[in-house]
Amino acid sequence: MQAQDILAGLEKAVITGNKADSIKFAKESLDAGVKALDAIDKGLVKGMTIVGDKYAKHEYFLPQVLLAANALYGGLDILLPHIPKEDASKKVIGVIGVVEGDVHDIGKNIVKTMLTAAGLDMHDFGKDVPTENFVNAVKNEKASLIAMSTLMTPTMDGMKAVVDGLIENGDRMKVKIIIGGAPTSQPFADDIGADWHAINAQEAVKKVKGAM
Amino acid sequence: MADTMNHIERAVAALGDKPVDRLTTYPLAMGVCRRLVGDGKMTYRDWVSDPKKFASAFIEGQKHFDFDFAIGLMDLSVAAGDMGSVVRMDDQNTPFVTDPSLKTVEDYEKLTVPDVKKGRSHVLVEGTGLFVQALGSQVITAAFLEGPLLSLTQAASAEKVFMDMYNNRSAVHKALKTITEYNGDMVKAMGAVKPAGLVWDYLWGSYSCLGDAEYDEFEGKYAAGLNELTGKEGMAMCIHNCADLPHLDTQIKKMKPAIYSMAYYPLIPGSPSPKETIEKGFADNCLIGGQIDPQGFVRWSQEKMQKTTMNLVQEVKTALCARGLHSRYCIASGCEVPPAVTTRLENIKECVDTVKKYGQVTC
Repeated sequence: MQAQDILAGLEKAVITGNKADSIKFAKESLDAGVKALDAIDKGLVKGMTIVGDKYAKHEYFLPQVLLAANALYGGLDILLPHIPKEDASKKVIGVIGVVEGDVHDIGKNIVKTMLTAAGLDMHDFGKDVPTENFVNAVKNEKASLIAMSTLMTPTMDGMKAVVDGLIENGDRMKVKIIIGGAPTSQPFADDIGADWHAINAQEAVKKVKGAM
Repeated sequence: MADTMNHIERAVAALGDKPVDRLTTYPLAMGVCRRLVGDGKMTYRDWVSDPKKFASAFIEGQKHFDFDFAIGLMDLSVAAGDMGSVVRMDDQNTPFVTDPSLKTVEDYEKLTVPDVKKGRSHVLVEGTGLFVQALGSQVITAAFLEGPLLSLTQAASAEKVFMDMYNNRSAVHKALKTITEYNGDMVKAMGAVKPAGLVWDYLWGSYSCLGDAEYDEFEGKYAAGLNELTGKEGMAMCIHNCADLPHLDTQIKKMKPAIYSMAYYPLIPGSPSPKETIEKGFADNCLIGGQIDPQGFVRWSQEKMQKTTMNLVQEVKTALCARGLHSRYCIASGCEVPPAVTTRLENIKECVDTVKKYGQVTC
């Protein structure tokens, strides 16, 4: 199979949310000598970008986006170990999670997928994440970006606790902070000292890529 | 201006779009009203575990704020908890599922109908009955239940259910049928305690989440039977949906609720404002409730709450008059007033008092 067909196969596998095909074409790309980074950027990421556009236009909805993300990660699991270390080390590292006391992570997962597709190395802290995990992310994960979300009002103050903790440990200026989730807003981000607020995954990618 | 109608007269008139002395109002203050009971230290865990304590918050809330409605929202993990999911109950935070019970396709298929006489389903029914008994002669009361798809996503996680809609379609339907049976039992139990209405939370009817086809297949067809049963059991069918980009054509024009409670997200393109909602005819046959930002009850000054409420009242009055309507809008919060300890109770009072003062509709 030609490299071009393999890349098209990867792209289509993501668009149609077919994880099995994504894994199959990822393996074929390696067998055919396609660079892993090219297979990611020109196949998987290209497909995920189309999925993001379709979601923004309400042509796709959450089920299709989640299946596409699942297919993307299936391919990434095969390809990422084959990226040369020097290329991998150039990636911006971000950490992402739902703040302590909240477990609503569907939006966080979509943002993680889109930031991964945008080329960041995203470390997923999961949900109900203790404040100190975010606060120590610069030291422990070498993170340049912290992304936090919450869907609930009572847990919003956890975001402020993270920003305050970063100021206290001297890491605030080493990291950009983006927040999201239904009750949050840019004024709230300003209030607590975060850098950005995003209303959805597309806006998060735009803001992060624009600045980093 | 002093009220000249009582709460029930006003709410009944608004439901029928008859002239009213002022617009109706009901900031969705449920859990937060536990702070008005006794020494003000009731925990959330206590509130959601004891019918008397649950009811007492609505009773004290009514004394304190003088609302036009009382709606018995507890939280969104009642059904999931009774289906075996682990629900975390913090002292001052809304209970939520930390470990869903439905993890495999087989779990969907093996799901059995929870007994509504046990668990928090029982607390909810009993508690609703107690506040209906206490307040039913003063205000329009309503029970509150999670729709089948919402309950399933709580019991299995939304991400899993959404992917299984495509990967394990028949198993998802099997689980939804079981949950719908449970919901039917809950409707009958609620009907027996005689609230005037029953509010369904049909949260996933949102274009940020599901398209028309998925929504119709995975909730619409189950909701149709439950909506009909609600009426048969003597309760007005009402819907709450605080998601962004709600399916208004389906949930208002097709399902025909008596009341539709919704939120407004000004940052999200396409989110319908109160004015647009009325202009597009959604209040023609349905009392719309909304759309003050619930965050305002925590973060705004009393002055800002007054100004925001005044602006909303003016926007609504202008839009109602332009549409030839009299009263089919209830000034409310788009979602539940945050039940946090930091919520400013004075802002709830301010919202109600501002509607009393400025809510007269003279077209």
